[in-house]
Amino acid sequence: MYNNQITSCKFVSLISLVIFLGACAAPGYGPIVEDLSVQARVSERMSVLPNNVSTKAPTNTTVVSPPPAPVVTAKPKPYVAPKAVVTITAQPISNQVITQLATQEDTPVAVQEASLPASDQAVVEQLLTEADQLKAQGKVTQAVIQLQRAQRIAPREPKVYARLAALQLSLGEASRAEQLALKGLTLVPNKKSYQYYFWKLIGASRSNLGDSQGEAEAIRQAAKYK
Amino acid sequence: MTKQRSNNKAKSKVSVGWISWVWLFKFATVLMVVGVVALVYLDAQIRHRFEGYRWSLPAKVYSRPLELFKGQQLATGQLDYELTQLGYRWVEHAKAPGQVQKTNKGIAIYSRGFRFADGDEQGFLVEVSLQKNTITDLRQPSGASKALLRLEPQLVGGIYPAHNEDRELIQLNDLPNGFIETLLAVEDRNYYTHYGISPWGIVRAMWANIQAGSVVQGGSTLTQQLVKNFYLTDRQTIWRKLIEAPMALLLNIHYSKDEVLEVYLNEVFVGQAGKRAIHGFGLASRFYFGQPLSELKLHQVALLVGLVKGPSYYNPQRHPKRATKRRNLVLSILAQQGLISDAQKMQYQGLPLDLTEASQVSRYPAYMDVVRQQLQQNYQPSALSSHGLRIFTSLDPWVQHQADTAMAEQVKKLNQRHGKIDGLQGAIVVSHRDSGELLALVGDYNGGYAGHNWALDRSRQVGSLLKPVVHLAALETGRFSPVTIIDDGPVSLPQPDGTLWQPQNYDRKSHGKVPMYEALAKSYNQANVRLGMQVGVDKVLQQLRRMGVEQPIPAYPSVLLGAVEMSPLQVNQVYQTIAGNGFYSPLSLVRQVTEANGLLLSHFPFAVRQAASNDATYLLQHEMRMVANYGTARGVYQYLPKQQQVAAKTGTTNDQRDSWFAGFSGQHVATVWLGREDAKPTPLTGAGGALHVWGQLMQHLAYTTYEDIKPQSVEHYYLNITTGKTMPNNCPNGVWLPIPKTSAPSFNTTCGY
Repeated sequence: MYNNQITSCKFVSLISLVIFLGACAAPGYGPIVEDLSVQARVSERMSVLPNNVSTKAPTNTTVVSPPPAPVVTAKPKPYVAPKAVVTITAQPISNQVITQLATQEDTPVAVQEASLPASDQAVVEQLLTEADQLKAQGKVTQAVIQLQRAQRIAPREPKVYARLAALQLSLGEASRAEQLALKGLTLVPNKKSYQYYFWKLIGASRSNLGDSQGEAEAIRQAAKYK
Repeated sequence: MTKQRSNNKAKSKVSVGWISWVWLFKFATVLMVVGVVALVYLDAQIRHRFEGYRWSLPAKVYSRPLELFKGQQLATGQLDYELTQLGYRWVEHAKAPGQVQKTNKGIAIYSRGFRFADGDEQGFLVEVSLQKNTITDLRQPSGASKALLRLEPQLVGGIYPAHNEDRELIQLNDLPNGFIETLLAVEDRNYYTHYGISPWGIVRAMWANIQAGSVVQGGSTLTQQLVKNFYLTDRQTIWRKLIEAPMALLLNIHYSKDEVLEVYLNEVFVGQAGKRAIHGFGLASRFYFGQPLSELKLHQVALLVGLVKGPSYYNPQRHPKRATKRRNLVLSILAQQGLISDAQKMQYQGLPLDLTEASQVSRYPAYMDVVRQQLQQNYQPSALSSHGLRIFTSLDPWVQHQADTAMAEQVKKLNQRHGKIDGLQGAIVVSHRDSGELLALVGDYNGGYAGHNWALDRSRQVGSLLKPVVHLAALETGRFSPVTIIDDGPVSLPQPDGTLWQPQNYDRKSHGKVPMYEALAKSYNQANVRLGMQVGVDKVLQQLRRMGVEQPIPAYPSVLLGAVEMSPLQVNQVYQTIAGNGFYSPLSLVRQVTEANGLLLSHFPFAVRQAASNDATYLLQHEMRMVANYGTARGVYQYLPKQQQVAAKTGTTNDQRDSWFAGFSGQHVATVWLGREDAKPTPLTGAGGALHVWGQLMQHLAYTTYEDIKPQSVEHYYLNITTGKTMPNNCPNGVWLPIPKTSAPSFNTTCGY
């Protein structure tokens, strides 16, 4: 009997303890109207990532963490879309290529870009400038997206192809760069500065690809338009 | 023994009162323990579900945004259409997001702003000046001129989880004025003061119901309603009734009123669209009004709040009268409670329901089908249906609308002209000429499609659509030019089984010796087979492979006349390469994928691969322009202005089982197929069927000039159209055609007629 009573008392105090602890453990009020599942855990995040990486984005993406306040997940309200919450600062998949090219002082790309004539469409120039700025900030993916936007708006503007090709080359995508430059060539049969530029770029791409014969041919072609 | 017993007896006698007290204590303890355990359990449950709960958010699929810039060419009616689809409202003076206004120069748009994959586009007020469908200026109220702006994209679909719950998350500050007041006035007047349950509320609701003679108010608090929706099944069980109240109390203790309310706003069930369950007021607003919640006016708010009581009974689309009555009752309650004046009540009650005109069933089944297929290659199904991913596609709502319309209208006309054609089906593929982005897909002539996507799933013989590939392979050798003379005499070729293959021309005549462009323009079978045999069937197939057709095709001569099965999508891919100056770019439709918060997950970089030389492709493009100007495709000029250049080809298969048309303008590549489901003969040739759909479609797309960039290796010559010989510029019936400088024709001084 006595023992029983003790047990009961123990039990009751145990429950009080549980309640007390439970109360203590109650977490603070976080943002509740949000699906955080994609940000929640690394294991979960992985499942969202593409199986087949056709992307430049995620692997070493720097995420500028939003402030702890609720993140806007639905569409932002007009005019108040918070700039601070923009989390897109994708970095190129391979920083090595960038550094390597950045240190090459006489890349045809860097030398020649300025001498290309301005596009007669103001909107194209604006997008190209934006892309340049993004690239300078290391947001190469964003720069590519801006250039593709320009390409849709002005699909026959050679300058867009010149930038796209140069950017792809700087990303180490030499084959892609070569093809873009070849397509660019079809748009400039009478524009020497562009022909020179594209052939130089094709030469650089082929050199990266180890195609020395193709490179020689490109250099020969470029010489015709110097 | 006895001693012992008596001893015991004595002891028990003494402690009777004590023992019953013990039992009572035990009983009470057990009850308390059970109660406390239950409470602890419920408490844990509530906290776990409330905080850990994640709504499965379907992936949202967006169309391309409409870009606005100086020089942008729009189609007639396009801007109005797109704004309507986006739920913009026409007003006298646009002064809030979501409003548009006609001005002297064009249209003033107050856009809403949007988070794109490449960053935020702020909402803006801008006057778009238009001259003949071309944007001439974009001016902001400050007077500043903008070079480029984009509207928000259209939400065109979602990828839903198995339970088909769809919602668009909102926060309290997304609510329009008067929303909370209206909701609380109707559903739970003392929400901010009660403890999660409200006995007084039940009494008051009963009284109100008796007064009204019907159930106008429910007794449950919002907290209880949320508990019901959120934690419990729909079944009315005693257990549920028992725990509903304590759970509501606990929820009330743990969380602030605003937090509970926010969850309620997102959880509440407000309608059904086919299999899709509409949850939360955010999506409800899009669904019923085509507008974001923040833009709603009080009469719209009243309707949404009124719907909570019975979303299907008061369904405003199906039962507008009931819904209006319910809405007006809600407005009356607001007036009763002094939240609005009687005059305001009357004013709002007099307004129409203002439902969106844009259809809310999936309008793009064929396109969404391909989006889903492409995403499934890269993402797991659970990620697509629950993580709230944002999928940005290249779907062009205007092009899609015109494609659907052209298919429906022209098929109707064909049925009238030829008598009903049983089981007639059709498909359309439209892509952007230089980027290879898919703009529109029609997978079924009805637009609504059940199972088969004729643009992708079914391959049919392509007939004469293959002839341009034969010509390209020929021009690539450098041994041919558009004026090379080909013999159109009868052809007889031995087949592997020993029989002879003797294809004939459509008119069953031979046309003697014809220039190559003429053979294509008039689609002469005999001349084209002879040309193909000179080039080699294997060379033609190699060319086809480079243009993206990867399935194995046996190298029989019949391939030269299109005895190759391809889907409309594949055909469009081949023509895309021709339109793209010989550069293959894979048809794509997903531009970017981001997480719900905008973090970029993947994007699909534009890539090209040279599949034919620019020189040869340029010559072919001009041959195909001849097809449209003068050959079998000339019927398109019933639809197009004469100065609009297009390059195209018709296709008809044996016994007219398939009617094809494929080609491109300055900006668009499009392929149309018509045929019977059972592949039986139809009364339609390519020119008599698919051409009309293609023509009507192109007629309604933005007019863009066909930019012709001549390679250095060719020169244009003025030619006698029938002989292909050069002649002086003043001769009649001539045509300018490019010819390689290396095979420059000698100049003739007479017209040659």
